[in-house]
Amino acid sequence: MAVLSPPKPSSDEDRIPRRIAFSQKVGRWDVKLSPYLYISPFFILFAITGLFPLIYTGYVSLFDWHLIAGKRAFVGFDNFDAVLHSPSFWKALRNTFSIFLLSSVPQVVMAIILAAVLSANLRAKTFWRMGVLLPYVVAPVAVGLIFGKLFADESGLINAVLTHIGLDPVRWHVDILPSHFAISTMVNFRWTGYNTLIFLAAMQAIPRDLYEAAILDGAGRLRQFFSITIPQLRPTLIFVIITSTIGGLQIFDEPRMFSSGGDGGASRQWMTVTMYLYELGWGNQKSFGRASAVALLLFLIIVIIGLINFLITTRIATSGDIKVKKSKSRNSNNRRTR
Amino acid sequence: MSSIPVIAQTAGKGAARSAAKRRKAKLAGPDRRPGWVTYVILVIVLLISAYPLYYVIQLASSDSLTIVRNPIPGLLPQGNLFTNFSRVFDSNIPLVKGFINSLTIAVVQSITVVIFSTLAGYSFAKLRFRGRGPLLVFVIATMAIPSQLGIVPLFIVMSEIGWSGKIIAVIVPGMVTAFGVFWMTQYLEGALPYELIEAARVDGASMIRTFWHIAMPAARPAAAMLALFTFIGSWTAFFWPFIILGSKNPTLPMVMQLLNSNYFTDFSLVMAGVLLSTLPLVVVFAFAGRHLVAGIMAGAVKG
Amino acid sequence: MTSIIRTRRMATVVAGASIFALTLSACSSDGTEKTPEASKGADGNITLTVATFNQFGYTPELLKEYEDANPGIKVEQTVAALSGDARTNLTTRLAAGGDGLADVEAIEVDWMPELSEIADSFEDLAGPDVTGRYVPWKEAQGTADGKLIGLGTDIGPEAICYRADLFEAAGLPSDREGVAELLGGKDATWEKYFEVGHQFVANSDSAWFDSAVAIMQSQIGQLPAAYENASTGEPTDLASNTVIKGMYDTILTESVDLSARLGMWGDDWAAGFQSNAFATMPCPPWMTSVISGNADGVDGWNVADVFPGGGGNWGGSFLTVPSTGKNTAEAAKLATWLTAPEQQAKAFASAGTFPSQIEAQALPQVKDATNEFFADAPVGQIFSNRANQISATPPFKGLNYFAIQQIVMDALNRVDIDGGKADDSWNLALTNFGELGF
Repeated sequence: MAVLSPPKPSSDEDRIPRRIAFSQKVGRWDVKLSPYLYISPFFILFAITGLFPLIYTGYVSLFDWHLIAGKRAFVGFDNFDAVLHSPSFWKALRNTFSIFLLSSVPQVVMAIILAAVLSANLRAKTFWRMGVLLPYVVAPVAVGLIFGKLFADESGLINAVLTHIGLDPVRWHVDILPSHFAISTMVNFRWTGYNTLIFLAAMQAIPRDLYEAAILDGAGRLRQFFSITIPQLRPTLIFVIITSTIGGLQIFDEPRMFSSGGDGGASRQWMTVTMYLYELGWGNQKSFGRASAVALLLFLIIVIIGLINFLITTRIATSGDIKVKKSKSRNSNNRRTR
Repeated sequence: MSSIPVIAQTAGKGAARSAAKRRKAKLAGPDRRPGWVTYVILVIVLLISAYPLYYVIQLASSDSLTIVRNPIPGLLPQGNLFTNFSRVFDSNIPLVKGFINSLTIAVVQSITVVIFSTLAGYSFAKLRFRGRGPLLVFVIATMAIPSQLGIVPLFIVMSEIGWSGKIIAVIVPGMVTAFGVFWMTQYLEGALPYELIEAARVDGASMIRTFWHIAMPAARPAAAMLALFTFIGSWTAFFWPFIILGSKNPTLPMVMQLLNSNYFTDFSLVMAGVLLSTLPLVVVFAFAGRHLVAGIMAGAVKG
Repeated sequence: MTSIIRTRRMATVVAGASIFALTLSACSSDGTEKTPEASKGADGNITLTVATFNQFGYTPELLKEYEDANPGIKVEQTVAALSGDARTNLTTRLAAGGDGLADVEAIEVDWMPELSEIADSFEDLAGPDVTGRYVPWKEAQGTADGKLIGLGTDIGPEAICYRADLFEAAGLPSDREGVAELLGGKDATWEKYFEVGHQFVANSDSAWFDSAVAIMQSQIGQLPAAYENASTGEPTDLASNTVIKGMYDTILTESVDLSARLGMWGDDWAAGFQSNAFATMPCPPWMTSVISGNADGVDGWNVADVFPGGGGNWGGSFLTVPSTGKNTAEAAKLATWLTAPEQQAKAFASAGTFPSQIEAQALPQVKDATNEFFADAPVGQIFSNRANQISATPPFKGLNYFAIQQIVMDALNRVDIDGGKADDSWNLALTNFGELGF
């Protein structure tokens, strides 16, 4: 929950909102109530469409609750038991993680490299930036359809090219890892440019004097990249990784569109947790109870992974950070600039 | 996947601005233009990011037999593009209805998200009230809650109140987002001087008047970007509309899914539908893309 | 000053946009709230929606005919390609309280049973026009809880569709009678079908049939009760279902040499019609339009009056009227009309859906129909003959038929299409069966 607090910019010590001088009695309630009134739409809507369903999910998960027939018997934790003992759940979890890792890791690496390229003093900067962002406006469903066809086993472009250059065609829609690779490619296609721009912004905010000092110390470009750029990207890195975890573990659109049936393959080799949730609730089992159990388990997993992410990235980045600070302590105030 | 734009919270608006100033000052100096290798890399990247869209045009302008027989499409588009477009319109998939639905949802959500987020952001950034800190942390924390968590109860509730199958069931849950509130809080903190607010208050303006005349104009650049993000997000959303709307009252992503499951044997038709559904956003992107880039990068440095 | 001007402009923009949006939502709520259910427009017109899947043969002309005969009624049809999609949509919308359902919903025989549990969500369509017009087993399938909730559209008596040109090239007889004879005529068996298949593939580059699931589907259609106990409705434990396991093993063994290994209904499958991938298909009448659509431009398709194991039924559907509709009476009228013999005869002509009405089967335009794509085969006569071979008691399909069927079909696909091991795949099917939690 608190995972997002590090990037939280304005710590109160930095800037305490000044009390607005206002002494008239008229409008006193206006002053007192308005702040709450203004934030109320968010909290009311969140209570109705966020918090309440969250709690209600827990309630539903304790019942034998049929899609059409509705609530039946109270079954305690039977739904969780059934889900946790169902090989399909674990398979879905495996697929989700595999797709998530295959997409997020290369994506972050590629995005950082691309950001480094884009941070050069280019001609027509905006053009190149828009170029990498273009895939972002393509809906995941469309991306899924396009890449589903590109990766078609028999009549797809990619296999045709592979055959053309004398390689064996890959069974993208049959074998486990190739199917995950194909789906990850869709995710990478849509999000790499987006994350590139985030990293680019962060890179440009790194104070120049850090680099100048490093150059004086005789550091090469690579050394600068790893000793200054990467550590300085820490908050951004955490942010990107956490948001892509939240999104990536819920992936549905792309794998759903990877085949026309949308079932995740004959062995469910690319069925993700969310597809499994849908299948449980709205597919053959029509069990809202079990679907709710899966939703809660997914939530739990996302929170755990978020925390792990946070710990790892913090550690990696701080260790790098310390080195920089040691060599250039006069810049230690740079992060205050925000 | 739903990543969300990051702005000043990572880089820092002030930092970005000062960096920008510094860059400008030094432009004549050490910042030399990069060599051709950089441009070659960029051209390749550009080709990769644009080719899938071109592939759509290649297939959408072809016909099913050609596609089946030649997995590697001809370099230039074929001549059947408009024939395939009209076949999409003639098909039994309600594309026009999907377009109207998507547009309605995206426009309404963009407007409500901007208004509600600016209100809340203004309040968090500039007004003082008890519980402000914890409440803001709470808002941020809700961003970590997966949207699919409550899908089952939401479906049950929407069915109970008779909204199932209607676009209002899609609109309402997305009328304000934690991200939007966070984004506007961030922005207004830096972009709106207290002096302005105080001046308005001293002049006797009511709270809401102050908001409307001082905060809203100041928030404009960030609001425009938030609207853009919200619009794209609504336009491309699939999972919840797919569950709650049903195939008779689809949004555009659902239209694409329906086209695929109905005409998967005729990919020229499916891709014509994909093209028609994607084109509006590409046009928006052509005009507003630079703002989108700026929005993602710096949270409106200009502000 | 400027800021005030700007604010005004902004306010105007926001206001304008809101009005635009509201107008839009008004327009589209017009579409969303009224079209799904039938509604009376300002002009007093009623719009009825019909949701079908695959090919029902309800052409725009046919629907126009109804509109002309019934002034004030407008009929709109939505079509899903895959019956599975239609099924999910139907159950989801039913669960949502009926919002977004069509006035007339088509239902396939395989998932009709699971709706019998909620028979009260559908109108009783029994009436003097309807009673007794169907082959008795079709009427029985449409009945639940003593109510006739489904009006039968078509039935799926199976024949064998084949490629005469490929047969000839492989040195086999290629005319209809010759092929029927070759496959055993009246005494055709699956063994014989596979045996001829081996002869064929020895002399041809094409496979014998498209996929293992097509064969399995046909064989299951010949069982009195495939997955459930006919008297209690209880699912049979798949692990001890030796009949199914036997079929599974035999078909997969034969598929090694005989199957084109194409995932049915997938795009590679559809492409296979163009690339001479296979030479025969189990062929209910509705399949003829699927073949002629996918094999557009390919010569040589024909249909033989023969089927391994005698008679078999694959598919066939019903029209239902969900009770949540706003004009259920008008919808029932439309459904009755669409399934009346004359209209069924027209549907047969346009989409090959063979009528389930006794009278329609006897109409000359059905009985004497030929199909140009299939070398002018007398399809009316052939499918009538095949229909007569179908057992009078339809196979028992219970609440869980569809779910179990899907598990078994997935198991076949894992081996046939994906090249997995038959034993592993069966074990996974048993696991999946266990997950259904009976």
